[in-house]
Amino acid sequence: MSRARLGLLVLWLLALGLLGWLASQHLKIGTDLRSFMPAPTTPDQKLLMEQVGEGPGSRLLLLAIEGGDDARKAAWSRGLATALRKDPAFTQVVNGDFDMAALDERLLPYRYLLSPTLDTQPLDKDYLADELQQRLDDLGSPAASLLKGLLPRDPTLEVLKIAERWTPAHSPDVREGVWFSSKGEALLLAQTRGAGFDPGAQGEAIDHIRAALTALPDGKDARLTISGPGYFTVMVNAQTRDEADWIGRVSTVGFIVLMLLAYRSVRSLLLGALPVATGALAGIAALMAMFPEVHGITLAFGFTLLGVAQEYPIRLLSHRRAGESAVASVRGLWPLLLTAIASACIAYLAFYVSGVGGLKQLAVFTISGLLAAGFSTRYLLPYLLPEQARDVADTPGLARFRAWLDGLPRPRWLPVPVVLAVLAMLCFAPGPFWQNDLSALTPLPRDLLMTDARLRGELGAPDVRYLLIVQAKDADAVLSASRKLEPAMHALVKLEALDGYELPSVYLPDLETQRARQAKLPDQKTLDRELALALHGLPFRKDLFAPFVADVEQARTLPPLTPEAFEQSPLGQRLAAMLVHRGDQWVGLSTLSGVRDPQAIETALHDTGVDARLLDLKDASESLVAAYRTRILHAVLAATALLFITITLALRSIRRAWHVLAPMTLATFLVLGVERLAGIPISLFHLVALILAAGLGLHYALFFERDTGDAAEQRRTLHATVVCVLSALLVFGMLAWSSIPVLRAIGLTVALGVAFHFCLSILMAPHVREDRLP
Amino acid sequence: MKVLDKPLVVSGELSWLGGDRLERRVDKPAKEVSTIADGEVTQERDGRKPRTFSLKRAPQLKILLDSFVALLGGDASRLDDSFDVHLGRDADRWALTLTPRDARLVKQIASIQVYGSGNQPRCMRMNEADGDTSIDMLGELATHMPAEPKLEAVIAQCGGAM
Repeated sequence: MSRARLGLLVLWLLALGLLGWLASQHLKIGTDLRSFMPAPTTPDQKLLMEQVGEGPGSRLLLLAIEGGDDARKAAWSRGLATALRKDPAFTQVVNGDFDMAALDERLLPYRYLLSPTLDTQPLDKDYLADELQQRLDDLGSPAASLLKGLLPRDPTLEVLKIAERWTPAHSPDVREGVWFSSKGEALLLAQTRGAGFDPGAQGEAIDHIRAALTALPDGKDARLTISGPGYFTVMVNAQTRDEADWIGRVSTVGFIVLMLLAYRSVRSLLLGALPVATGALAGIAALMAMFPEVHGITLAFGFTLLGVAQEYPIRLLSHRRAGESAVASVRGLWPLLLTAIASACIAYLAFYVSGVGGLKQLAVFTISGLLAAGFSTRYLLPYLLPEQARDVADTPGLARFRAWLDGLPRPRWLPVPVVLAVLAMLCFAPGPFWQNDLSALTPLPRDLLMTDARLRGELGAPDVRYLLIVQAKDADAVLSASRKLEPAMHALVKLEALDGYELPSVYLPDLETQRARQAKLPDQKTLDRELALALHGLPFRKDLFAPFVADVEQARTLPPLTPEAFEQSPLGQRLAAMLVHRGDQWVGLSTLSGVRDPQAIETALHDTGVDARLLDLKDASESLVAAYRTRILHAVLAATALLFITITLALRSIRRAWHVLAPMTLATFLVLGVERLAGIPISLFHLVALILAAGLGLHYALFFERDTGDAAEQRRTLHATVVCVLSALLVFGMLAWSSIPVLRAIGLTVALGVAFHFCLSILMAPHVREDRLP
Repeated sequence: MKVLDKPLVVSGELSWLGGDRLERRVDKPAKEVSTIADGEVTQERDGRKPRTFSLKRAPQLKILLDSFVALLGGDASRLDDSFDVHLGRDADRWALTLTPRDARLVKQIASIQVYGSGNQPRCMRMNEADGDTSIDMLGELATHMPAEPKLEAVIAQCGGAM
């Protein structure tokens, strides 16, 4: 190798190394799935986008601890809850360890404003006498030890009434003071601060939980079961990455073997990898320059789409002739290669204008990647390749294969039956055409779902699918509307339309209600008199109830409790999660559990006349996916139109453009038809994979269409195409065997696409012999 | 009791309905029936809606129920699960002292003492952590209950000598 070459290689590698170092230092990868969704337009979609990841239901992790006796499990439960409550990654941790301290000491006098007692019952002598008689009976009853402490301050037991209101209707068994499942596991609910569908944040939260449990005494013996949307996100992410890594390793080995067989040169193999590496790093650099954060999916899809770029060095390697320098070879090849690169880039421009953040990034990455790979193949790679190369046209068997292909009939009417077959397949295909349910692409193992359903049932944890939405102009109006819903919701639970609900007004009544209750509190003189009358004939110690009288007096003059003040208390986070300020509106979010009859709930909500409705997150997310797909389809249509124009202009002939574009289009629809016939609903991932396959197909068709009139050059074209097809089949065929639907969708679509594109572009290419005729 | 001027006297019948079910029928001063069954405590009083609360809300009560049922059913191992059991004897008379094993429970109920003679339990005394004491006089002793008993006299009657 000459010094000039060596210098070039070192410079190139240094540049790549520098780019790689920059990327590793500055690349910020976002994992939130939502940045790959279209920007929400309607208020409902905005709400959905927030709720999909950040709704109280989706941020909930369900924990079950096993191992050891009840006392040990309860100790772990308490220890874990204490540790996690101090952890900023969690907003709320509950384990059934309900204590009165949950109601802040400062808020205790507010109990008369929070409890509904005064709505129906004044604190007069009759009521007090009745209550006090009951307390006396209580003291002689099994409940005595429970109530005695409360008696002086709270003889009417308002605190217990509030606690009852705040306890979910279906709560698990309490043993040793904490929740236990019927299977004997200690149960906890932990709400994370991070979004539910952010695998990064959720993974961190889960690590914290495990670390906190292990750090407890004997914590290593505890067996922890975790469930909930966040955990699933992490699981699916890890599973997908594991499988992709494994498949990637196998196909890399296969690819290396294939390249060695095809070119019999380690140097060519190593040098041939440089343009794709350049493309990938250039793409990342462009992303870093244009966006503050790069989405993980952009990179995953981007690397997939950049697979097209591997064709460039393969074309160069295959088209070398004996005795011709690589620079000369590439000059002959360049016009066609440039057409291919330019048309692909122009097509991806359509993605840039799609208006979806993730797709925009994808376009930037792919366009800059393809350009970098293409231009490095043209202007750098040829100067590094050895002067002399084996002419692949002499590869044994290649001539015979070419002759056989040439001998195949190439009927001009071929497109007609293909179109008819595609139409028939699309018409008679079973099942729905589109896959709107994103979760179907990342299915969870059945036992995980069973565990989730079981824990959710035992904990009475809220449904992730439904949310009750109340809208009003301010927080207090939301609370007031929520209060009007309470009777209707109560009736619905009675009718078994659902198991339970959590309305914001259950935690904090609106100001008007609080003021009305306040107005009903007697002044101290009146209360003293009524209490004295009520106590007549009862054996309670004199002055025992002084703290009660003091609290009532204080409650009379307190400013009503606002959401802001309430949110400072230990239970405040719960209310904070339910009251959301957005724009000039306030939204109340109520979680529901065990929804059985959404229709009945909808009707009952409508009948209350309050501005409230049931939001079905599944429905809403499906409609969002459908909207997203429409955007992609529009982008694809625009890309196709651009492609037609580019190719026609480049080839300066509609007939030649037809020879390139017809096989590509037909093959794309053929893949669609075959997948639909197999009962596969088409998802976003299929669409992206179809685009990649079309990009590869475009290359095959362009090169097969090339009119050289040279038999050896035809063989070289065939050699290059076969290497490309085999490598694509190898890489994507492996993915098609994956157990994960996302990977399978991409693998199957590209593998099928490559096969169809290859066959159709040969069968629809102009006949060699015809071409040879003058 | 500290909160009251004078002792509270309640009389009635305590019956074990088998399993984890206990019925406590109070005749004086006011009629009241409390039933502990299926994890729920139901209190019914004359002229009022029955009040029900879950045993889950009162784990302490659950342990007391355990002790009652174990005592009445003669289930020594169940008793041993929840309590530190100490038996004192004095000729024909005996006293069983139960100290809850649960540290949280001890903060409410310091101990339970059961006094008896022969094979007949006579009194159950509950010593609460705050110093309050309640005594259940069982069997024939209950029929001789004075209207305004003095604690010391009652303890003596139960067999407080031990």
